[in-house]
Amino acid sequence: MPNQKLKLGFYGITGCAGCLLSVIFNEDEILDLVQLVDLKAFPFIKEVNIDDEFDYVFMEGLVADKEDLETLQKLRKNCKYLVSLGACACTGCVPAYRQFTLKENYEHLLYKKLQNVEDLQPTPIDAHVKVDFYIPGCPPDKREIVTFIKNVVVGKMPKPYESPVCVECRKNGNQCLLDLGKPCLGPITAGGCNSVCTNGGFECWGCRGPTKDMNLELMIRILKDKGFDNKFIQDRMRTFVGLKLPMLEKAMLNLNNGKKFSVHA
Amino acid sequence: MTKSITLNHITKIEGHAKLELGIDKGKVTKCELSAVEGSRYFEGLVRGRRFNEAHEITSRICGICSCAHVIAAISAVEDAMHYTPSEQTKQLRILLTLGERIRSHATHLYFLSLPDYLGYESALAMASKYRPQLQNALNLMKLGNNIIKTIGGRDLHPVSATVGGWLKIPKKQDFESIKKQLFTIKKDAIKTCKLFFSLKYPRFESKTECFSLANNNGYAVLDGKFASENASFDKSQYLEFVKEYHEPRSTANFVVKGDHRYMVGALSRLNNNYKFLSKDAKKMLKLSKLKLPSKNPYHNNMAQAIEIVHCIDNAINICENLDLRNESVENIQLRAGHGVGAIEVPRGTLWHDYTINDSGVITNANIITPTAQNLLNIQEDIKEFIARFANKNKDKIVSNVEKLIRSYDPCFSCSAHFLEVKWV
Repeated sequence: MPNQKLKLGFYGITGCAGCLLSVIFNEDEILDLVQLVDLKAFPFIKEVNIDDEFDYVFMEGLVADKEDLETLQKLRKNCKYLVSLGACACTGCVPAYRQFTLKENYEHLLYKKLQNVEDLQPTPIDAHVKVDFYIPGCPPDKREIVTFIKNVVVGKMPKPYESPVCVECRKNGNQCLLDLGKPCLGPITAGGCNSVCTNGGFECWGCRGPTKDMNLELMIRILKDKGFDNKFIQDRMRTFVGLKLPMLEKAMLNLNNGKKFSVHA
Repeated sequence: MTKSITLNHITKIEGHAKLELGIDKGKVTKCELSAVEGSRYFEGLVRGRRFNEAHEITSRICGICSCAHVIAAISAVEDAMHYTPSEQTKQLRILLTLGERIRSHATHLYFLSLPDYLGYESALAMASKYRPQLQNALNLMKLGNNIIKTIGGRDLHPVSATVGGWLKIPKKQDFESIKKQLFTIKKDAIKTCKLFFSLKYPRFESKTECFSLANNNGYAVLDGKFASENASFDKSQYLEFVKEYHEPRSTANFVVKGDHRYMVGALSRLNNNYKFLSKDAKKMLKLSKLKLPSKNPYHNNMAQAIEIVHCIDNAINICENLDLRNESVENIQLRAGHGVGAIEVPRGTLWHDYTINDSGVITNANIITPTAQNLLNIQEDIKEFIARFANKNKDKIVSNVEKLIRSYDPCFSCSAHFLEVKWV
């Protein structure tokens, strides 16, 4: 009888392994969860990994060198659906902030490498291949991963969470960190994280990426009114999701030229 | 007969590494272990950022020891600014670190190491026969995660620790709940010890020196000199003792002390600090029949198991004695300076070093991770150890080498991309 279970693979390219750990750290469910699927590959915890044919590949990490790109392209070819797992894969996360920092900050760390590990511009995986699903966040919410798997196992297509972090933050009864003068990016950042950072007293740095209908200029204006300077605002917004904010520079420029900001209708 | 073996993707380790071996007429002619991670240049990314942003950024170096990078970064920044945190803050930082160590050791022991000894390709494949053992592992991992989540706000990349204090002090009832969980979990830790003491470890002695933090007050976590059985120095002197160099084929750097290789991690800590173990951890040490000092890297598995018992007792102690007060984060007077943070994290001693200008902006950073320090030692051990197996078949050589590498619990995400070399 043919195996009807979905064939899954969990892989990591350049990253911190935190997203793959988030899969395993579903301690109460992981052993049963793997029974629901045909786990063909998970090199972090498996010795035998067969990479020829998948229904879903979950990819952690960003493309930082040629080997990353080769791995990514091969797996894309061998899977029906590619799932971008976590912030590095979805936005390039902190490593891609390198594209926005001065070269003089890191050039002392560069060195000549072997051909196969030559650096590439640090980029999210969708800069190179088609991505079918995104599980954002640094780290992603571990429950979200389980829900995703359970959904696709029964043929349901998961939908992204689109409301800003503020919605969950308010629901959780937190005091607004912007009101306390902290540079919180909650208003322009997609939630679904249960506002875990602001619950812990820490301002949102935007790791799950901008909401579709964000008002970036208003966010910048608020931060400027709180006394944060241009450099700080740009650095902060670009730390996790800089490559997903190509409009940032223009927005900063408009505001600095005294142009009236537009409130989203 | 000439054999050449290349392991392009070593599995069941954290991160990506490659090993190339050459054996000719029973002699090892080539042994090169290298990280094959893409470079992320964290030390460059924190340049130009504010003093209180370093820990949030460098946390992303590693998922399995993110608390470690957070606390090491904060310690280094506070050292640069001549700030001493409150006793409560210190205790909360220790608790966070202990929670992470329990989680990390349990993950390594059961998911990355144990399958080798029981003849399985993975822990998941063991599930039908060894479900209770895996349940022990998951219980310990869950406890570690709960501690980190309660104290740090999130189980990976914690959010509540910051320069000058704690953004959100845990509630007393949460502390009580952790304490209860710690008492309950103790039996799983004891079972873990017994299981890992029962495994058969190859005989081997590494020609190494075991370094860890050490002080006179306890099993060092956040404070102490960097010491071995015959050397000791202050963290501020580390650049004179720890030398970095770069291997051209690899993205990782190796670190040597006075041209000697050395080892950090649970076994080093046990060798140097065993007299400060908790009562029950001492009982476990006795039961293990380990003769200390041990320089057999395979014994790192037993050392990790013993440390889990100790960490649980130490954490219970903190929960019982810390009378939580509502301290707010202190505003630190900005000043230019240079500071070093050295703390004991799951895989050994972690170094963070920052230079800060008088506006609170980071102008330079240096980070040395435990695995970066262990790499040379792992490679030299492999070379010596496989000489014994040089006439055996490839499979036998490979399985022994993999076991050896995994016993160090290396983290190649951490080990890559930290080096000081000239731009070419």
